[in-house]
Amino acid sequence: MNAAAFVLIAAMIAGYVILDGYDLGLGAIHLLYARTDRERSASLAAIGPFWNGNEVMLISAAATLFALFPKAYAASFSGFYLPFIIVLWLLMVRGMSIELRGHFESDLWRGFWDVGFSISSALLALLFGVAIGNIIRGVPLDSSGYFTGTFSFLLNGYALAVGVFALLALAMHGAAFAWMRTDGVIADRAQRITRLLPFAVFVLFAIVTAMTLFIHPAARNPALWLAPILAFVALVGVLLARNGAAALVASSLMLLALVTSAATTLFPSLLPSYPSGAGLDIYNAAPNAYSLNNAFFVAAIGFGAVLVYGTLAMRRMLARRIGTS
Amino acid sequence: MQDAVLADRIQFAFTVMFHYLFPIGTMGLAPFIAWYTVKGVRTGDEEALRTARFWAKIFTINFAVGAVTGIPMEFQFGTNWAAFSTQAGSVVGQTLMMESVFAFFLESIFLGVFLYGRAYVSPAFYAFSAIAVWLGSWMSGFFIVATNSWMQHPVGYALNPDGRIALRSIGAVLLSPFAWWQYTHVMTAAVLTGGFVVAGVGAYYLLARRDLDFGRRFVRAGVIVGLCASLIVVFPTGDGNGKDISNYQPAKLAAMEGLYRSQRRAPLSIIGMPDVQHNRLIDAVEIPAMLSFLAYGNFQANVKGIDEYPTDQRPPIDLTYYAYHVMLGLGTIFIAIMALAVLLLILRRLYESRWLLWIVMLATPFPYIANEAGWTVTEVGRQPWIIYGLTRTVEGASPTVVSGETIFTIIGFIGMYFVLGSLFLLLVLREIAIGPEHEEALAAGPEAV
Repeated sequence: MNAAAFVLIAAMIAGYVILDGYDLGLGAIHLLYARTDRERSASLAAIGPFWNGNEVMLISAAATLFALFPKAYAASFSGFYLPFIIVLWLLMVRGMSIELRGHFESDLWRGFWDVGFSISSALLALLFGVAIGNIIRGVPLDSSGYFTGTFSFLLNGYALAVGVFALLALAMHGAAFAWMRTDGVIADRAQRITRLLPFAVFVLFAIVTAMTLFIHPAARNPALWLAPILAFVALVGVLLARNGAAALVASSLMLLALVTSAATTLFPSLLPSYPSGAGLDIYNAAPNAYSLNNAFFVAAIGFGAVLVYGTLAMRRMLARRIGTS
Repeated sequence: MQDAVLADRIQFAFTVMFHYLFPIGTMGLAPFIAWYTVKGVRTGDEEALRTARFWAKIFTINFAVGAVTGIPMEFQFGTNWAAFSTQAGSVVGQTLMMESVFAFFLESIFLGVFLYGRAYVSPAFYAFSAIAVWLGSWMSGFFIVATNSWMQHPVGYALNPDGRIALRSIGAVLLSPFAWWQYTHVMTAAVLTGGFVVAGVGAYYLLARRDLDFGRRFVRAGVIVGLCASLIVVFPTGDGNGKDISNYQPAKLAAMEGLYRSQRRAPLSIIGMPDVQHNRLIDAVEIPAMLSFLAYGNFQANVKGIDEYPTDQRPPIDLTYYAYHVMLGLGTIFIAIMALAVLLLILRRLYESRWLLWIVMLATPFPYIANEAGWTVTEVGRQPWIIYGLTRTVEGASPTVVSGETIFTIIGFIGMYFVLGSLFLLLVLREIAIGPEHEEALAAGPEAV
């Protein structure tokens, strides 16, 4: 059951990365392909009905971590106090930028929120990558599992490389979404970005893979290489995609493979101790068995239902492309 | 350590009190929107659909601010209250997770359909999405109140030798009568607020002699709902909640009532000021034996006073006492205003009675104050416990977060929330100024270009 709970958390994180990933990535690069007010409005309308539901995935993943592994939730959130609060503030700026922009027809007002949307989205993508990098690398923990390092410890070379990798990968994912959802000149520009970014993503992919093999001995196990190889194949798929939907599917598969790769490298640990030591894993961070079982089934049923009605509701909304006319 | 806990408490109190202003709006307006949407779809009444869309715009602004200020609440359990989350995670993690998987997705996905999807979905599905938004917002409220009630009156758990709490029965937690009295009380208070807001905006239109048809519609719906809710919030829900407090949290009851000494035929104080130095209530106006009756249904019952409890188990008396009396006093005034308005409505003189419309309009903010005061009673009156009778608040805070860090983030939150609050007011007042007659086909937002 503890392993199943781990898989559930990993699946939720993968779901979050794929869903909110495209609107974070779209935000990070929207100034590049959408230049006039009309284009930017259309670009925002492409994510309008979806971004909030996608962000709910983040809250749900946090809440599910709380229910399934309370100790890991408490130790990581309090240990990384400042970075988490900064993430909160960025989420607020981002939410305000998306929701408030359209309320006034003023260039100053809209320009301000356009830049706010872009900066907050890019920083969030970067910070999430830094977080994943630190989790894989491990952080200093005391005997009861609380973080004892400093803020600057978290900004190490490996974590920053994963952060840049995450930013580029999500930017590519977002460009593919914009290509699929829009038409006209912004779709053309988004298509060009979707075709260019895979090269940059590949460079960071290679760097991060090499660093991971160096710092994480467990990653040298060839059984763990399957997921990164699939991610690479999917990346080539993005490059070859003939339309936006195909590119989006390929980049989603790449993100899924990357999260799977991170999860399998980590398993059964949740937060390893750096440079060595026990850390938090799926056994010492879990609650009593009744609670874990109950939380697992509630989450499984709940998300099953969300998948069904979410797909039904969203399919109709995705049908129409957003134009600039 | 004490300083750090104080900073954690100030941050939680500030962020939750600010946050809660917006769920009141969504939970209070959702039933109105669902009602008008269903009515409009069923009868083809275009005015009803316009009314629903007008309130949906205000709802959406509330929802957006509520969502962005709600995430910090979820996060603070981990960031600032890690020891509590570790100890009680098997219980409170469950209810918070249920909120996100059952309520958040429902509310946000169907709000997306309601706002953006009218052109793509059938009228029946459109109406269904309004109901789903209502359901989602009320379920969200339930899981939060269930979490809070468990902290007020823990049930369905066992205490492990290592001090951690093991959940034994999720059914006992979710079906706890304490939770259901608190939930019905809180939801009725939200509906009451919704009624006052709808009536208040309607009164503004009538006073300003504009959007008259909508104004009458708003005032009528608002005062009828407002009167019903202001009665139900007192009885049975407030009464049931109060009896639970009498039985399970007698120290809170004593602080609420400013009852310093245990006594039979305990009086109910209407007015009075607690004198914390000398442990007495000064300038008190009291109804003899009334508190004994309200708490235990018997005029002769003994009610425990604050003197029964050691000083380290007493809640802050003055804050609890005033918050409770503010809530109670406002509740009484709400009944009076709404009863008068409904009376004039029946006599067909309400829309011309400008003096009462002024009162209805100016009363709009006060239900918010009553809601916040009620939660202040609940939370301050629970002190010094984070889990009543089990764990003290000082034991629940994060061991690794120091007060300086929290003070820094409090300052950040104050700045951020000042901006957020100003923008909220700007946008809501602007929607009211535009009015339902000039409502566009689509709600304002990214698509309204």
